[in-house]
Amino acid sequence: MKKFRTSKGLIGIALVGAVLLIAILAPLFIGADLATKMNMAARLRPPSADFLLGTDQLGRSLLYRVMLGARTSLTIAGAAVITSIVLGLPLGIISGYFGGHLDNVLMRLVDTLLSFPALLLALAISAMLGPNFQNTIIAIGIAFTPFLARIVRGEALRVAQMPYVEAARSSGTNDFHMILRHILPNILPAVIVQGTISLAFAILAEAGLSFLGLGTQPPQSSWGLMIQASRDYLDVAPWTALVPGAAVALTVLGLNMFGDVLRDALDPRTK
Amino acid sequence: MTYLLNRLFSIVLTLFLISIITFVVTNILPGDVATMIMGTQSNPEALAGLRESLGLNDPWIVQYGHWIGGILTGDWGHSLVFKEPIGLLLVQKIKASSLIVVMSMTIALVCAVPLGVWAAVHRDRWQDTVSSGTALLGVSLPDFFWGIMLILLFARGLGWLPSSGFTDPAVDFGAAIAHAFLPSLALGLGLMAHLTRMTRSTMAGILGQEFIRVGRAKGLSERSVVWRYALANAIGPVLTVAGLQVGYLFGSIIVVETLFNYTGMGWLTYQGLLNRDVPLIQSTVFVIAAVVMFANFVVDLLYLLIDPRIRLG
Amino acid sequence: MAGQSNRYVADRDDEPLVAIDGLRVAFDTDEGPVVGVENIGFSIMPGETVCVVGESGSGKSVTSLSIMRLVEFGGGRITSGSIRFVRQSGEVLDVTRADSKKMREIRGNEIGMIFQEPMTSLNPVFTIERQLCDGLKVHKGLSQEAARARALELLKEVHIPEPERRLKQYPHELSGGMRQRVMIAMAMACEPRLLIADEPTTALDVTIQAEILALIDRLKRENGMAVLFITHDMAVVAQMADQVVVMYRGNIVEKGAVEEIFDNPREDYTRALLAAVPKLGAMRGKSAPEPMPILGAEEAPAAPTGAAEKRQLLLEVKHLTTRFPVRGGVFRWTVANVHAVEDVSFTVNVGETLSLVGESGCGKSSCGRSILRLVEAQAGDVMLDGWDVRRLGQTELRRARREMQMVFQDPFASLNPFRRLRDQVAEPLMNFAIATGSELDDRVADLFDRVELPRTFLRRFPHELSGGQRQRVAIARALASGPKLIVADEAVSALDVSVRAQILNLLMKLQAELGLSFLFISHDMAVVERISHQIAVMYLGRIVELGSRAAVFEDPRHPYTKSLLSAVPIADPRQRNIRDDQTFKPVPSPVFPIGYQPDPSLYDEVSPGHHVLREA
Repeated sequence: MKKFRTSKGLIGIALVGAVLLIAILAPLFIGADLATKMNMAARLRPPSADFLLGTDQLGRSLLYRVMLGARTSLTIAGAAVITSIVLGLPLGIISGYFGGHLDNVLMRLVDTLLSFPALLLALAISAMLGPNFQNTIIAIGIAFTPFLARIVRGEALRVAQMPYVEAARSSGTNDFHMILRHILPNILPAVIVQGTISLAFAILAEAGLSFLGLGTQPPQSSWGLMIQASRDYLDVAPWTALVPGAAVALTVLGLNMFGDVLRDALDPRTK
Repeated sequence: MTYLLNRLFSIVLTLFLISIITFVVTNILPGDVATMIMGTQSNPEALAGLRESLGLNDPWIVQYGHWIGGILTGDWGHSLVFKEPIGLLLVQKIKASSLIVVMSMTIALVCAVPLGVWAAVHRDRWQDTVSSGTALLGVSLPDFFWGIMLILLFARGLGWLPSSGFTDPAVDFGAAIAHAFLPSLALGLGLMAHLTRMTRSTMAGILGQEFIRVGRAKGLSERSVVWRYALANAIGPVLTVAGLQVGYLFGSIIVVETLFNYTGMGWLTYQGLLNRDVPLIQSTVFVIAAVVMFANFVVDLLYLLIDPRIRLG
Repeated sequence: MAGQSNRYVADRDDEPLVAIDGLRVAFDTDEGPVVGVENIGFSIMPGETVCVVGESGSGKSVTSLSIMRLVEFGGGRITSGSIRFVRQSGEVLDVTRADSKKMREIRGNEIGMIFQEPMTSLNPVFTIERQLCDGLKVHKGLSQEAARARALELLKEVHIPEPERRLKQYPHELSGGMRQRVMIAMAMACEPRLLIADEPTTALDVTIQAEILALIDRLKRENGMAVLFITHDMAVVAQMADQVVVMYRGNIVEKGAVEEIFDNPREDYTRALLAAVPKLGAMRGKSAPEPMPILGAEEAPAAPTGAAEKRQLLLEVKHLTTRFPVRGGVFRWTVANVHAVEDVSFTVNVGETLSLVGESGCGKSSCGRSILRLVEAQAGDVMLDGWDVRRLGQTELRRARREMQMVFQDPFASLNPFRRLRDQVAEPLMNFAIATGSELDDRVADLFDRVELPRTFLRRFPHELSGGQRQRVAIARALASGPKLIVADEAVSALDVSVRAQILNLLMKLQAELGLSFLFISHDMAVVERISHQIAVMYLGRIVELGSRAAVFEDPRHPYTKSLLSAVPIADPRQRNIRDDQTFKPVPSPVFPIGYQPDPSLYDEVSPGHHVLREA
């Protein structure tokens, strides 16, 4: 717990906490129409007293849109990371714990998948399935699975060689209990750290996909979509890009900081 | 020698698997290629005929076989969007992308390594905080955002550099570099941030090892210990990570090239994806994955040359 | 500076080379400054060896690192005191106030240092030549040619075989002992007046240790060099020291001439330390294993009875062979085999201890693992109490495993960091459905009592315990299923000396109370002498000598046993057995091509029950 008291840790937690709060609470307090109703009279206004962060090309408040967008972006990113863990965790454990030919085959597959840039894979899957909310989650989730599987496998391999696993085996522990009691708890710290970092990447990936039109679709709003919409108005209204961009940056920054500190805290060498 | 043979066999196997995965991914579409070509209002009989001639009714194995056979003989098919042979398109676009990939990697490495070493040497002090903090910010921003900022600043704001388009370096080298510069920077900044962090953590790890203390105990100057003893050990892992980042770069070029209208592989891939141009998607995805795989192979080879432990077993 | 020798010419023999006074070193940690050592003061006279001895956390390393001001690179600060060093020029320098330029002149030049881990002390990506030469170029200004010539000379001085070839090699191509010789060569390069050796032999096998100690001793005598020797091993102290400094928790407990310390220790800690060291030869004439005398223990610990009584056979191992494949080639198929265990046979009786003793790589660990089938042997029989262990199916093997358990070397890695201790000790009971519910809890609590751990520890996690306590938990876990045989694989090697003695006594007590048999795997001859009824000496996968403890220790017959016993440092300053370091035997490799059939192990019975391997 001490490790989190560093300035990096505190800032990280503060940022992540703030974004989480906004994502959860904002839609409850801000009526959906406040962010979607067009108001052509007020279009492309710079930040002012009326509109704290300015307005976009349809006259909508950027402040509200960016706050509502938090929920979309975080939900997609979170669900994608959970998908990758659900797929990658069993894969990695089976590969690392049982080893042998199964491990060889599985890892060959995973390594091949790793030759595909994650963003490319996500884009391709999304394009093939048809871009929408769920498919974006599936696309990013599948794209991140190989990396997580590799990490889980490495950890499972490391833990499987520990004397306490050998001791449990000679105490008569069967494979199922071994995985449950000994392997899983000891790989969990690495998975949590990796999950946090993946979350950061997932937000970036969602922004990228939406920017290219292969992620979330209107009328839903996500930060990536907001940046994409701002492309045509960069000269006259750069804040339309800067506001969502800053939102992404701050969230990812917070997650990265938090992830760094988490990694240090859970590092067994420093125990 | 056996190591090389081992790797060669591995490469062939991986290429084969890459092709299978590419084929699987690009064939889960619910839509229909024939409709794409002829339009949705077409005569159903004509559509059926086209499907037959394109081989779309054949079992998947056969379709796959045709495709692979084509690749091996140099016939990569025709793009539905561009109405040109894909092979030619690929060659042009690979040149363009290679330019920015090389430029961005160079920019990134040249800046990141000294910065990372500096941060590691002064770790936990202000130099480290500044350097690592900036790097952290750098990896937190999406590439296209860097791109937008660069466009705003250099192209629109200062007017120094063009914000879109591509020129073949063989035709006009200066213009080519000018067009390639901002995209390379957009790619390179995020990469530089990541490599700085990697270098810092690798160096910090090495500086904690016993032989560093031995070096000091011999009376070597701190500068010698850091820049000769430690760096010689860090170069290997850092170059490896940089090499592995080529994979990440080839994903990012899709977004960056599109943003800058820079007609390279990424832009081409995006056009294919956008328009469901299956033959094009198949080829571009396959080529990108193959390039990344080769890059990883080269990195392994490089590591073999650098690290005597692996070289001499 | 070039070409000048640092060799000390004594004109004032009573002037100390190094005088430490009132030294205090603190470390900056997250919790604030922590004191490393406090009020340290002692002197090193020219040409003498001072041994600083203590257990982990005593501050001995911190002291040695302070002399060259290396401690500051690890976050330490010298907060008070002085360290006076007499330089070649005659100048007396207070190291604590010297600037970094002066310190760099001294390091590797007038003071040389060698460290504990030969594996990590050399830069893996530089050749040996380069690492030997860079110090020479910096301090002596030699050209590449001259430096290389000197490097070759140094390698010859430390008796490395094939020195020309070594220059071009990389550290990973050398064995541990050779690397340590290179380290010593590097430290000696500029003919230092003082050599600081921080646990230089702790990570080495006993025979290699003997060679390195002999080397240091010879270099010291030939060069008139002073040596500051850090160690935790009292036997090494007895062999090497002129003066002894005993440290505990950052303070000096006692110091004096080596004979004084061994004959008349004044402080309790020193006496406890000396008592805890098993002395080779102390068991001469005794019929049974004997517990270590622990200072301050209220009652005499329980002792197992001697081998004289008629015993039942518990474990019979016949012609056990275990080989591990070496993979290589294009498809990673097997290209050779490591013959880890080759035609090994021995027996263990009920209630007795047989020790498998040998140096690293001799196969003793693999032998223990093969018996438990944690690793599968290729040939041979393992008969445990009627079970034909090697031929059991999976379900029967599970049942058989109730009878034999293992205690591992690393107390930190033997316990799952995320499970409560109570659950880990209960696991065998749960797996074999021996007890449930409250009966289970009672049994676990009983086991904790048996290993002398307080019941409050039941709910704790491993990281809250010390190394010795964790090993007790591991023993409790091994006892849980009620086994007849426990394999202790270097179970005490990673523990501090005083804790080691306690755990050994615990094992002996359990043997006396429960009639347990132990297969005790170790490299430490003195410990083995204490605890065993029978001894089996292993070398290159074979048993070279097998017999009762008295027979093997008092009448060793096989050449390897003899060299092993003569290499063990004796914990008595009046019996110095530092031998000539000329005898360098390259260690043969246990890797053989596939299909190679080694000769069977044939033994001569030189006296009843005492078998010696016939050499081809």
